[in-house]
This record gives sequence, structure tokens and C-alpha cells, in this order.
Amino acid sequence: VHAQSNEPIRWRLQTYAGPSLAEHVIKPSIDAFNKAANGEMEIELYYSDQLVPTSELFRAMQRGTIDAVQSDDDSINAPVDVSVFGGYFPFASRYSLDVPTLFHHYGLKEIWEEAYGEVDNVTWLGSGSWDPCNFVTRDPIRSIEDLDGQRVFTFPTAGRFLERFGVVPVTLPWEDIEVAMQTGELDGIAWAGITEAYTVGWADVSNYYLTNNISGAWSGSYFANTERWEELPEHLKTLFKLCMDSSHYYRQHWYWWGEAHYRTTGGKLELTSIPEEEWQTIEDEALSFWDEIAEESERSAKLVQILKDYRQTMQDAGPPYRYS
Amino acid sequence: MSYQMIALTMFSSMMVLLLTGQRVFGVIGFVGAASALLLWGDGGVEMPFNASFQLMSWYPLLTLPLFIFMGYMLSESGIASDLYDMFHVWMGSLKGGLAVGTIGLMVVVSAMNGLSVAGMAIGASIALPELLRRGYDKIMVTGVVQAGSSLGILVPPSVVLVLYGMIARQPVGKLWLAGALPGLLLASLFILYIVVRCRLQPHLAPPLPKEERQHTTREKLLLLRAGILPLLIFFAMTGLFIMGVTSLVESSAVGATSAILAAWFKKRLTREVLQNTMHKTLGITCMFMWIILAALCFGAVFDGLGAVRAIEALFLDRIGMGPWEVLLMMQLSYILMGMFLDDTAMLVIVAPLYVPLVISLGFDPVWYGVLYTITVQIAYMTPPFGYNLFLMRAMAPPEISLGDIYRSVWPFVAIMIVGLGLVTAFPQIAMWLPETFYGAR
Amino acid sequence: MPKPIRYYVRYVDAFNRRVGRLITYLIFVMIGVLLISSIARTAFNSPMNWVVELSQFMMVAYFLVGGAYSMQMGAHVRMDLLYGRMSLRRRAALDVVTILFLIVFLVTLLLGGISSTQYALQYGERSYSSWAPPLAPIKIIMTFGIVLMLLQSFSTLFKDLATARGEEWS
Ligand SMILES: NC(=[NH2+])NCCC[C@H](N)C(=O)O
Ligand code: NA
Ligand code: NA
Repeated sequence: VHAQSNEPIRWRLQTYAGPSLAEHVIKPSIDAFNKAANGEMEIELYYSDQLVPTSELFRAMQRGTIDAVQSDDDSINAPVDVSVFGGYFPFASRYSLDVPTLFHHYGLKEIWEEAYGEVDNVTWLGSGSWDPCNFVTRDPIRSIEDLDGQRVFTFPTAGRFLERFGVVPVTLPWEDIEVAMQTGELDGIAWAGITEAYTVGWADVSNYYLTNNISGAWSGSYFANTERWEELPEHLKTLFKLCMDSSHYYRQHWYWWGEAHYRTTGGKLELTSIPEEEWQTIEDEALSFWDEIAEESERSAKLVQILKDYRQTMQDAGPPYRYS
Repeated sequence: MSYQMIALTMFSSMMVLLLTGQRVFGVIGFVGAASALLLWGDGGVEMPFNASFQLMSWYPLLTLPLFIFMGYMLSESGIASDLYDMFHVWMGSLKGGLAVGTIGLMVVVSAMNGLSVAGMAIGASIALPELLRRGYDKIMVTGVVQAGSSLGILVPPSVVLVLYGMIARQPVGKLWLAGALPGLLLASLFILYIVVRCRLQPHLAPPLPKEERQHTTREKLLLLRAGILPLLIFFAMTGLFIMGVTSLVESSAVGATSAILAAWFKKRLTREVLQNTMHKTLGITCMFMWIILAALCFGAVFDGLGAVRAIEALFLDRIGMGPWEVLLMMQLSYILMGMFLDDTAMLVIVAPLYVPLVISLGFDPVWYGVLYTITVQIAYMTPPFGYNLFLMRAMAPPEISLGDIYRSVWPFVAIMIVGLGLVTAFPQIAMWLPETFYGAR
Repeated sequence: MPKPIRYYVRYVDAFNRRVGRLITYLIFVMIGVLLISSIARTAFNSPMNWVVELSQFMMVAYFLVGGAYSMQMGAHVRMDLLYGRMSLRRRAALDVVTILFLIVFLVTLLLGGISSTQYALQYGERSYSSWAPPLAPIKIIMTFGIVLMLLQSFSTLFKDLATARGEEWS
């Protein structure tokens, strides 16, 4: 789809999110882009699995079937070693500001650029932070044992980690989760914080919310087909990046607002908690999980080291960065 | 090309090409693939194969082969002929009683299966020859079997409602319960029609000879045992699922297993029965799945080319069209499309568009699922394109001609339209059961 | 019909029949796996994390690999408003032309299948789940099914051609 005379450049962008969630995590920024592009370019936004099933999404972008994608690196199974860090990498972050800090001030951006540089025809455009990973379940989780045997929809890497506690990770299309909770295919969801649970409708089909999380925020990325990206004139590239940032910014405050708002006034989910000391065993286990991932490649080792340094810095800085 | 043009071109070329009589999946897939190749730009060629992954990710689709298997197994198991004897004796004294009994049989079979194939096979092989032998009117009884078996997708379990639930993102348990009373309502309307018609035209249904009507109460009661096995199967499959013990897909596996066990129990589990069941299951499953694959491809390409936006605009921009008018337009468009397309193709292509619209107009999507199912049932039975017509043609005894089959459906189609009207006007017929069971949301 | 074509039809049909008959058994495997997982979960509280995915693979293999045989059995419906009224010979003649639709669809499916399989092999693609099975095997199976379907379409085309010309082909 080339830019000719006064025909606008058209892009198809598919997000991981369904319509109700996309309304917040991406749509406003795309609408703004289309307006600001003033007829020179038009991005058509498609939702989860709408044009291409998530499992084939990366490849579809590589081949130009889809021009751009918004997703975590993990869910689209990006063929790079860093993709495991893209979704809920357990206990890598506590607050949503940790993610951009890591990318912009601790070198993750450069590492991502390098990693995607090795993949044909896909350009990584940048990352931002999303919400925490809590458990939304049918039955209450009050101790670590309660996790045993739960069939839970979660990110692949988080699932791999949670298996250590008897969780059975289940992978289904995002849009089918609500129904799968009702048809008994799932016992719970470890895919989001409470804001999404309410926004998406999962709060209607579950009963409990565990306040402990295994990650304070995940990082999601924007990608584009390299040829398509290179074809864009400089000013549209800049505009696109500004719109990415505006979507990142919106999510920062939307989730921060929502996590507190729905815990206190939601009314549909009963909150349960696991005592901090007990939850600590999960965090300790995460650190050994980190070490296993570090073995996977040199770049992974470097990343894990950065995460460890960051964690140390935050602990040394004390409140309000870390309270323990 | 404008979005409107694309929508129009894709739809009309599909309709025209379907008229050539090429296999439905081939035509739909072709229009999808060709549009992708010509209009998508880079990477369009990937769209058809991507659709196969879309299909793979639809987990509940697994119920399809399992229900089909179960249906054939049941029709071979001999459960049906016992049931038939039961209804036959209990209803025999009524005018048109055997036809009424056939509807009863179909309701029970529907409760054991998610499609109408099983009912059709049982009706055509067990009930029809009997009815004809006793001088019942050929055309009427052909209609009875077709209408009765179509209840298979309304009385739970129902594959069509599973498919709807997947696309509309509605809970299958609720949808199944919502289908139950409308299913019984239709059955009652069918019965009412048969009774009235046979009273007016007694020659359509000659009464049974005296000696066939003399059964002791004890004999009659013993015959009721035929209902035990179906009850068990219904409980193992639908009951456990609704109670939340088994998941949907598991329940279909439980159903398939229970059908095998039933056949074994009745000493009917021969090699030949197994082989037949396996082959027919593969055939019907492939027919459905290839259509779904093609329709998913068509739908995604249609969407990606912007054609959906054109249709959306068509519905939304019609200022002054009230919610009910929109609803009516949708139902009409289903009937229209039903002349050319199969239900899954329709569902995949237009439901993603209709359902959000239905919700935004303030209607209940579960209730709409029932309306959709009844509409689809009608479409199955109306020429020129109708699964039940095809199936009937293949299964009916030779003395029943194609013309008979076509002529036989009209009264029942009219009744179904009445039923559709009733459920539309009184949503509680559908919603009472799910709301009582799950609580209103 | 020329001899090579006769051979083609005979061997392709025979092969697809064999494969198709074999694949019919897969239904029992599907039933079995689901049943076992259901029992494991409800009776022993130990769900298995691979069941959903494995069943999905089986379902797709079932209808893609079985497709060619189903076509041989004539299982696929048509809109027969006009078609149904024609003589067998006219139908065959029409089919000779319109089966090209089918072939175009299958060829694009095949191209997609090949490119997707290549990708799976090149990157060692694994499914995005915690079970994470490699995807190349199922993609190869799917592509294989499409190839069979394509072979069967040509066989059908040849048979229709013969019928249309009034030849006996068996
Ligand atoms: N998913 C479908 N295409 N269903 C069609 C069902 C057709 C047929 N009346 C049956 O129920 O057996
Ligand atoms: Na049913
Ligand atoms: Na029809």
C-alpha cells in the first residue's frame, strides 16, 4: 500500500487487546494519530485475533500481512531471546514506573534494539508499561497451597514459573477467556490487575481477587514491518512515536487509578491476601527462576544482571521505592 | 475501491459462484483467497492458512466431531427403537398419535445430541417406514421428521449454540438453558398442528387397528423403561456440564463415551456399526470444518479490506431505524443468506458485526442467540439451500421424492416463524430458565 | 483417459482412502484423552496442561488430513438450485470449470502452509504456552493434509473430465 499522490498511506495495526480494553490501552492514541496525520496516513486498528490469530501474528507482520502490532513480546512468541522478559517476568518490577526506567536508564532499550536487529523484517519501536499480575479466581486463594491444581490463563513465561506451585497454565484466545471461565475450562486468570478484571468483564465471572502480585507491571511493545516502517516519511515516524508515548502515558495513570479504585469500590470481587512472609517464598523462587533464564543466552545473562542491579538499587534507596 | 464496493463485490461474487453448484467451502474460500490476493497487498496470500490457526484456537469446536460421533452412535445403538415403541404405544390411541409420538421421540433424541443429524437418521430409518406402512400421509410425515429433528439444535445440548457462544462471547451453559423452553414450545406447536390437522383431515392419519391398541397398564408402564438410558445420557452429558462438574468439551467426550456404552449395553456394538459411525463422522466433520475454515478466511479478508465498516455504516447510519427494525433487518438478512449459505458461514461472516450491535441496542445476546438458532433452523429447511433437505434426501425411503420433501416443509416453516415471533415478543420464554438457574445478571 | 492420468487417479484415490480410513481412528484418541483428563481433574485434582493443546492439534489434523477422503466420499455440500437439475454429464462439465475455485483456494492455503512451516523450522518455533511443544510437526501435518486435498481435487477434476466427455473411467 504505497503513498501515491493524495491516497493516504494505510496501515493495519492489530493489538493483543480486545475492544473493551483497547478502548483504553491504544485506541485514543490511534484516533489521535489519524487526526494529526491529516489525511496523509490512516491506521486501521484491529483487535485481538481479529485478522490474524495471535499465534501467527509475528510472522504475519514479518510478511507484511499486518503492518504493525501492539503486544507484549511474550504472547506473540517473538523469536528473540529477550521475549521472555516482555510479559510478566516474575518479580522484575514492582511499580509501573519501573518499566520505562529500566528501558530508558538501565539499557534495556539498547538490548531490545540489538535483539530485534537480528530478526528479519520486523522493527521493534519501543515499550511501555502495563498493569500488575494478580490472580482473579473462582475459589479463594488464601495460601500458596491453594494455587495447586488451578487452571489459569496467564502469560507463557509467568505460566512456566507458576507451574512450580502446581498452577496449570492454559493458553486460549484472549477473547474466549470470559466464556472459558463459565464453561469450566478455567479456574482463574493471572493475566492482569483489577482494573482489567473489571473493564473486560472478568470480574463478572469470578469471585476472588488475590492482592499479592507476581509482577507490578509488564512491558508491552510496538512493532512494525520493517519495510513499511522505512517507507514512512520522517514526520510520520515521529508522529507515530509520539502517539506511542501518549498511549504509554495514559496507561500509567489509568492503571494506577484503577488498581486502587476497584479494590476499594469495585464490589464484585472479594479481596484475599497471602501474608507477606509466605509470599516471600514465591519471590525467592523467582530469583532462582531468573538464574535459570540467565543460562539461556549471553544476552539473557546480561539482562538478569541488570534486573538484579536495579532491584538492589531500589532496595538501597528505601521508601518510597521499596519498603522491604 | 471503496469499502462499499468491496463488500458488494465479495458478497455478490460469492452468491453468484455458489449458484454454479461447486462445493460450498470451495466457493467461499475462493472468494476469500482471491480477494486477498488481489486487494490485500503484501502478505495477502497468508490469510487462508492463518484462518486454520484461528480455527485451531477455537477450543469448543472440538465438541463438533464428538457430537457428530455421538449422534451416529446413538442412531445405531437401538435406544431409538425402544423409545419409538414407547411413544407408539402411549400415543397410539390419539388421532395422528404416531406422528405426535414421533415428535416426542425427536425431542428425546434432541436432548441426547447437539445436531439434527442424529434425529434425522433415526426419524428416517425407524419412524418413517412405520408411519408409511400404516398409511399416514407421506408428505405430512416427511415434514414431521424434518421439523422434529431440527429441534436437535435448540433443545440442549446444541452445537449451533456453542458456535454462536464462541462468536458472540456468551456462556454456553446459559445459551443451552435458554434454548430448552423455546424448543419445547416448538415441539408443542408441532404437536398442536398435527392433532388439529388430523382431526380436520382424518384420512391423513388412519387410526391403529383395535388389537394394536390393547395394552395392559403394566405393559405400558414397563415400556417407560426405554426412557431410562436417555435420561442417564442426558444427565452424564448436559447435567454434569450445567452443574459445573465437567467442562464443555469434556462433556462432549462423556457424551460420546456414553453413546458407545449404550450401544454396547444393547449388544449393538458391532464392528460394522463402529466402522460406519467412524466414516460418517469423518465425512460430516470435514464438511463442517472446511466450511468453517473457508468462512473464517472470507471473514478475516472481508474485515481486513474494510468491508465490515461498510456494513456497519449501513446499519448505524440509517437514522430513524429503531432497535426493533434493526433486529428485523438482521433476521431477514439471515433468512436471505440462508438461501445460499450454511449457518456457520453466516455466523462467522456476520455475527461479529451483529452481536455487538444487538448489545448496543439494548437486547440480550443470550436471547438473541435463541432467535438466531430458530432462524437457522428455518433456513435449514427452506429450499434451495438447506442441510436438512440434503440430509433428508439422502436418508429418506425411496418412495419419498424430492418434490415431496420440498412440499412437506412449508407448514412447519410457518409454525417455526410463529414460534420465532412468540420468543421475540416474550423473551421470558427463553430467559426464564437461565435466569432462574444462574440468576439474572 | 490417457494411461498416466488413469494411474494418477487410481493411486491418489487409493492412497487418500488409506490415509482417510486411518485418520478416522483419531476420534477415539480425542475421546480418550479428554476423558482421561476429565477424570484426572475431577477425581484426582490433577489437571494436565497439555490436553487442550493436544486436542486442538488432533482436531485440526483430523479434518485437514481426512479432508481428501471426505471429498472422495462426496461429503461436501453444494448449493444445488440449478446444479441439482442438470444431468450427471452436465454437472461434471460444470465441475471441471468450477473446481478451479477450489484449487485456487487450496493453492493459497498451501503457500501459506509452506511459509508458516518454514518459519517454524527456521526459528524453532514453539507454541506460546507453558507446555510449549514445537510447532513444526503440526504445521507439517497440516500442510500435508492440504497437499492431499489438492491431489484429490485433481483426481476429481480428471474424473469429471472423463464423465463430461462421456468416457468410462473406472
Ligand atoms: N454447524 C453446522 N453447520 N450445523 C449444521 C447442522 C445441520 C443439520 N441440520 C444438523 O444439525 O445436523
Ligand atoms: Na440437542
Ligand atoms: Na435455506
